[in-house]
Amino acid sequence: MNGYAGRILRVNLSDGAITTEPTPEDVVRDFLGGRGLGAYLLWTEVPQGADPLGPENKLFISPGPLSGTLFPGAGKMDFTTRSPLTGGYADASMGGMLTAEIKYAGYDSIILEGISPKPVYLYIDDDTVELRDASEYWGMGSFALEKQLKDELGEEFQIATIGPAGENLVKYACINHDFGRQAGRGGVGTVMGAKKIKAIAVRGTGGIPIADVNEFIRLGKEAYRACKEADGFKAWTRYGTMIVTSWCDKNGALPTRNFQSGSFEDASNIYAPVFRRTIVVTDKGCFGCPSPCGKYAYSKKYDIYVEGPEYETNGMLGSDVGLSDIEDIAKANQLCDELGLDTISAGGCIAWAMECYEKGILDREQTDGLELRFGNAEATFALIERIARREGRLGSLLAEGVKHAAAEVGQGSERWAIHVKGMEQSAYDTHSATSMLLAYMTADVGAHHNRAWAITYDIAEGRDKVSPDKAAKVIELQHTRPLMDVLGCCRLQWVELGMSLDYYAPAVTALTGVEYSWEDLLHISERVWNLTRMIWVREVEDFGRGWDAPAPRFVEEPAVGGPTDGQFTPPEAAQQMLDYYYEQRGWDENGIPTPETLERMGLAELVEADSA
Amino acid sequence: MSVTLVPIGMLKEYASGQERLHLAAGPTVAEMLEAVGIPPELVAGVIRDGDLVSQEYCPRDGETVKVLAIMGGG
Repeated sequence: MNGYAGRILRVNLSDGAITTEPTPEDVVRDFLGGRGLGAYLLWTEVPQGADPLGPENKLFISPGPLSGTLFPGAGKMDFTTRSPLTGGYADASMGGMLTAEIKYAGYDSIILEGISPKPVYLYIDDDTVELRDASEYWGMGSFALEKQLKDELGEEFQIATIGPAGENLVKYACINHDFGRQAGRGGVGTVMGAKKIKAIAVRGTGGIPIADVNEFIRLGKEAYRACKEADGFKAWTRYGTMIVTSWCDKNGALPTRNFQSGSFEDASNIYAPVFRRTIVVTDKGCFGCPSPCGKYAYSKKYDIYVEGPEYETNGMLGSDVGLSDIEDIAKANQLCDELGLDTISAGGCIAWAMECYEKGILDREQTDGLELRFGNAEATFALIERIARREGRLGSLLAEGVKHAAAEVGQGSERWAIHVKGMEQSAYDTHSATSMLLAYMTADVGAHHNRAWAITYDIAEGRDKVSPDKAAKVIELQHTRPLMDVLGCCRLQWVELGMSLDYYAPAVTALTGVEYSWEDLLHISERVWNLTRMIWVREVEDFGRGWDAPAPRFVEEPAVGGPTDGQFTPPEAAQQMLDYYYEQRGWDENGIPTPETLERMGLAELVEADSA
Repeated sequence: MSVTLVPIGMLKEYASGQERLHLAAGPTVAEMLEAVGIPPELVAGVIRDGDLVSQEYCPRDGETVKVLAIMGGG
């Protein structure tokens, strides 16, 4: 089975049964791997209504066909599950070295099911697979445990861990790997914690069968060379995603004080050149990466090492909570990583609480003594710790996510809870960017940017313009960007270096021996998109248009200061964009895929079988 | 007295597809962008010798600056 390892590993944590089964050829032909295979398995294996933290929910850990090959950026993998944060579909992609190791060990997906009676870690050394006692590791930080397991098992093992946040079932706990890479969003680390699985350690020594080795090597080398010779290679490699901080600030897209503004008066202190000059030690890349975006940093102020911050963390734990010292942001980043918290959701929750405090809705007693004002670094650090450990009233409240916290606190605080579908919005202000607002409204995990990033399109076409073309652009991006998560590779070679998309279909064809055109790959991505939508429809009783609502702040309240001062998107404009979007997707006016669309996507039989 | 402006990625579309533009030295990069029709708000960064500089930078005679498109976010 070319391009794939050919086996799926199933680990039942309740009874300790470990089995393998053949990877179904027709499924990977139609869904490929990564998020595609994960969505298919979630649909077919997790029963409707399964508690995200219960034994019936499963975690699917899936490399893609390109993972572990010489194709540029082949170091990505996907964790798929029912989200404890949103209640709907979740997947989180992760870079690093683990994906290649899983593939070399001979697995296209690892299925974790059930709940272990005691803390364990999963040990995989090719065909030797064991659940090992992890009682002594329970409570350890992510970095500390990764180092310890490397010391015990050997450097060649690749390790993924959860921190205390995952153990404590914080709803946006992440999975950590390679001392700074995360599967961050949607609570995939929470599901690991619920299953009492503290870590996964993998060593693989096998290979990947390739249909046309010479052609695949030729394409891979050519694509790799294109990345290395790209005009932007040096700059992107030097600064990583931090390079967009100044651009966002100057274009009203940098989240500031809980998205009240898109521009931060102290932003120049956290621009990429300051970051590079003051704390970056070296560049750090994932498996097979020609353009390492990771920046390993050292903060003298705190005497800590951390990979980052990258842009999202800079925005959400920097300007969005009012921090303007890059070393403070690095410290907040390091705390979240060690404790196992998604930096985006953590920043969003803390910023919401700060606004509540400044507006007098939370007082000092309710913050358990914290002076929770924007810009207070010590309060930010303390609150990160408390969230991860569920300490105190506020720590416990914010551990549930901003949607839940706002519903609990009330008093109008729902108006500044910045989320879609219960997922905290990532670091792009959308007061005046109708495409990007739509991208967040319709992203299939909640308000996350990695499904479609359309702000430049807004700027080029007119920020407040409402048009079918803009909806079409969002849909195009929602098929192209997540396709990389299906294939098991990184999108940054394309989005940052401009590597041609023309490489992908020939590469997948040469790898698998199955003839795919670019249109075929996009069709698969669209199929996956419709399936993830159906997972929401199945799991959320009242799912529909209301779940695609934007955070109220962007449609009710003007931005304050900066280039978008006074601007916001009228609610009817957001709804009009949604109408265009539903129509072009072939969904009804409530946002549900029509039977004809499911038929066109080749999903009718699958959906019908589930209903039966 | 000329400087070379290299538009990267989609910015080339705004410069009539040209790979390199040879312009008179003197103006700032922002002024050069305006002169050749590249919207400054689509420029993620101006690169001189691998380092980021601001759009207010005045390239010197014989210098090459690259202007990087903001393409896809993180």
